[in-house]
Amino acid sequence: MNRRSIVDKLFAQQIAKARTPSGEVDLELLGSLVVAAYAEAERDRRRNEHAIAMMVEEVDQLNRGLEKLVGQRTAELKAREAELEEQNFRFDAAINNMSQGLLMFDSEARLVICNRRYLEIYGLSPEHACPGVALVDMLKQRAAMGTFAGDPDEYLAFLVNSLAQGKNVTRVIELPDARIISVVNHPMPGGGWVATHEDITERRRAEQQIAHMARHDALTDLPNRVLLSERLSERLTAGAHHGEMLAVLYLDLDHFKGVNDTLGHSVGDELLKAIADRLRSCANDTDTVARIGGDEFAIIQTNIESPSEAAMLARLICDTIKAPYNLHGHVVIVDTSIGIAIAPNDGVDVDELLKNADMALYGAKADGRGTYRFFESDMDARVKARRTMELALRKALEVGEFELHYQPLLDLKQDRVTCCEALLRWRHPEQGMIPPSEFIPVAEEIGLIVPLGEWVLRQACLDAAGWPEDVHVAVNLSPSQLINQSLLPVVINALAMSGLSACRLELEITEAVLMQNTETTMATLHRLRELGMRISMDDFGTGYSSLSYLRSFPFDKIKIDRCFISGLPDADDSLAIVRAVTGLAGSLRMTTTAEGVETQQQLEQVRLLGCTEIQGFVFSRPRPAAEISAFLRPDRPIARIA
Amino acid sequence: MRASQLHWSGPAGWMDENSHPQPVDLVLYFGTRAALACGARYRELRAMFPRAHLLGCSTGGQIRGTDVSDDEIAAVALQFDATRVKLVAHAVADIGRSRACGEDIGRSLVADDLAGIFILSDGLKVNGAQLVAGVAGIIGDDIPLTGGLAGDGAAFAETLVGADGAPQPGMVGAVGFYGKAIRIGHGSAGGWDPFGPRRRVTHAHGNILLALDGQPALDLYERYLGEEDIKGLPGTALLFPLIIQDPERPEHEVVRTIVGINRDDRSLIFAGDVPEGWMARLMRGNFDNLAAGAAEAARQADAGLGNDIAGDAVSVMVSCIGRRLLLGQRITDEVEAAVNEMRAMTHLGFFSYGEISPHAVSGCCELHNQTMTVTALSEAA
Repeated sequence: MNRRSIVDKLFAQQIAKARTPSGEVDLELLGSLVVAAYAEAERDRRRNEHAIAMMVEEVDQLNRGLEKLVGQRTAELKAREAELEEQNFRFDAAINNMSQGLLMFDSEARLVICNRRYLEIYGLSPEHACPGVALVDMLKQRAAMGTFAGDPDEYLAFLVNSLAQGKNVTRVIELPDARIISVVNHPMPGGGWVATHEDITERRRAEQQIAHMARHDALTDLPNRVLLSERLSERLTAGAHHGEMLAVLYLDLDHFKGVNDTLGHSVGDELLKAIADRLRSCANDTDTVARIGGDEFAIIQTNIESPSEAAMLARLICDTIKAPYNLHGHVVIVDTSIGIAIAPNDGVDVDELLKNADMALYGAKADGRGTYRFFESDMDARVKARRTMELALRKALEVGEFELHYQPLLDLKQDRVTCCEALLRWRHPEQGMIPPSEFIPVAEEIGLIVPLGEWVLRQACLDAAGWPEDVHVAVNLSPSQLINQSLLPVVINALAMSGLSACRLELEITEAVLMQNTETTMATLHRLRELGMRISMDDFGTGYSSLSYLRSFPFDKIKIDRCFISGLPDADDSLAIVRAVTGLAGSLRMTTTAEGVETQQQLEQVRLLGCTEIQGFVFSRPRPAAEISAFLRPDRPIARIA
Repeated sequence: MRASQLHWSGPAGWMDENSHPQPVDLVLYFGTRAALACGARYRELRAMFPRAHLLGCSTGGQIRGTDVSDDEIAAVALQFDATRVKLVAHAVADIGRSRACGEDIGRSLVADDLAGIFILSDGLKVNGAQLVAGVAGIIGDDIPLTGGLAGDGAAFAETLVGADGAPQPGMVGAVGFYGKAIRIGHGSAGGWDPFGPRRRVTHAHGNILLALDGQPALDLYERYLGEEDIKGLPGTALLFPLIIQDPERPEHEVVRTIVGINRDDRSLIFAGDVPEGWMARLMRGNFDNLAAGAAEAARQADAGLGNDIAGDAVSVMVSCIGRRLLLGQRITDEVEAAVNEMRAMTHLGFFSYGEISPHAVSGCCELHNQTMTVTALSEAA
């Protein structure tokens, strides 16, 4: 209905309503109806306008709210996007900087993720590992490049089947360039899996190195005791069935400690390496040369027919080792002692053989070193006795079983005692007096000689302090004492404690001390002499080049060894030597002492030859400290030696 | 079926439009509260139709033919050839018993040959939605339940229903139609236009709406009404009905109208439930669209009668008071539009506080607001 007809109709209704029962139109009523209709229309218009205005306002408000919300959400989204991007960046950085190659596959065996390291390991380019590429295609590519061995399809079937059972699939592959790659495939929920590829070449090498180090000596790269025992065990087991004979040679360098102490550890190490090389050259390929600690070596000599083959090898080794070494400008000569045990005679198991070879070595050393000994069944007892002595020696110093005896030296011109030599004695509570020749070498070997020497110095000074002022005391110094840095303070201390004047102390050294002719030793000797002490050369003439040593140090006294005196007065050569020595000493202003003068003729002879002093039974045996005091009493008349 | 229309007015008293068929089975009457409250009109009708069931209610205006009046009583007397009718009356003491009342009515009327129910209820003291749900719960959705809630003009003070008795507040009366001959057509349509944003019912108890989108409901209405119409509350709230929608059944929309306000808690009281969580939108009427809605309801009702009717047909139009407030003098537009769509010769009706009719889409009987609801009655040949 159009607007016009609506209005017409409304107006018609209004006229009808305004019509009175008489049929006339009540104009007033009609007017009010028309006005009311206008008012209604106007009100409706206002309502509509208001409602629309409200709605617009509300919608606008809502829009603003929404815009704000959208703004907020957009900002949040952007922040999250940035965060995600950052996260992705970190993720990428993390996986691409892994030391392992990393791959992830979906349940269809298609690549999801692949990092850079994987490409590097197999030399693949990125297009070979795009997400979505099938594993089998990647494997075929690698097979073509030589980094995958086997059938890609078969491997894939095996892999998928194993992973489906929830198992990790691990394998180690070796690439043509010898790199070793460890591959671990780990199943994930949902049917995919993660694979890691790690280059373990270095680790493997390190493991091998560690395994080698565990069984080899780092210095010489010879097998160590562990590998020696293993090899020996293997040989013994294998040989037991065939009655095979083998020898275990146990070596120990003689006086190696001296090399280390005097020339330093680097020279000692060089010496050990050189010795290792020489030992290798002596042994057969089937033999095992091992370093089992310090200066100890061992050789397993296999497939021998008789012990004489072991003896031949031992001799070869002794000769080979003995040849001089030129190390950092030092010429070094060492000897070796060798103990030999033969299987199966001397033992059928590793421990027993090694123990017996060691015991044989002990025997060789006791025999004077530089030689070899076979194991003998009674060695055990001897070794035990030796061990017992070692323990007893240590105890003896603690409990005071040592004592000093003194042998007087007679000045031939003044006809009086000018000096007494302190001589060490061990009064064993059960065995009685034990001679120095038995215990001094042992004390040297076990390192007891230094504290023992100190005790001797202190005690000798104390004793001498009670003697007449013109009587000196002579104390022997061992090479070990001279090497020891504490000698000077020990001497000074001994003098100070006793109150003995330094000029009354004579220190006797042997050629062996001068053989270790180092700056330290010479400096010590000079220092001692500066302090007023007299330095004597003991046992002169027994060494190789005694005369030359006289040039190296200004000795105060030369003690001519008893071996020259014992030949007097008949042996011409002894006579010539004594004469030469006294002559030389006289021209060098040294006094001379003839040791071991036992007879009156000998006495007369050395007097004629020009010796200054004599020492020997002809005048006096060594006497205990208490006795020597009485012997030296000034009122005691000196026994005239006719 | 024979139908004869009659009406009453103050100066003229009852006027027969036709000679009444006797005996009359059912008289439906609609008048202002002022006209009905004294009970005299009921007694006059009873005297005229001693054997008929008399069912009527107070209104917000009556429809007779195409006329709309405020001071008359419109009535129709019906005589059925092959249809039995049964009337029940029920007093609702407490609004919370609305559903139970509906169930009682349903139980009283339900029968194998029940063909339909026309129900009139107090418009203020009964929760119409609960009442309808109660009846429908007993009789099922296949049997049409139509009618409306009594009105009280724009006053919203008291409504009356009379069912074989003088009209009283708090009453519900319902008449059941039985047998195969009766033909009942029904239609319901609004024609309102939703506008403005969709809002969520964030706080409500039953038919009391406290908040939309967290804002007090009355605030929203007042803002939209403007100062001029705020004075006319709660009547003027009818200008903006609310269309509500269950978000889980978005196609199922129901229009709710306001029957009261509470300035203390800033709430609005509706003629039916406004469930929390449902979506709501304000609606606004456009004169032409409202009339078109009425025409649509009439078309549906007329079609529902079928083509095998004989004798008279009557249409009972129940239109919302809100429509009348909005349309003013042009209210006749919608009545005419409806009448023009129907074959029935006899038309009457009233402006209500709620309309009852099956939902146009779901077919479920429901309380509607702000609609034109048409019930057409006739008998088969």
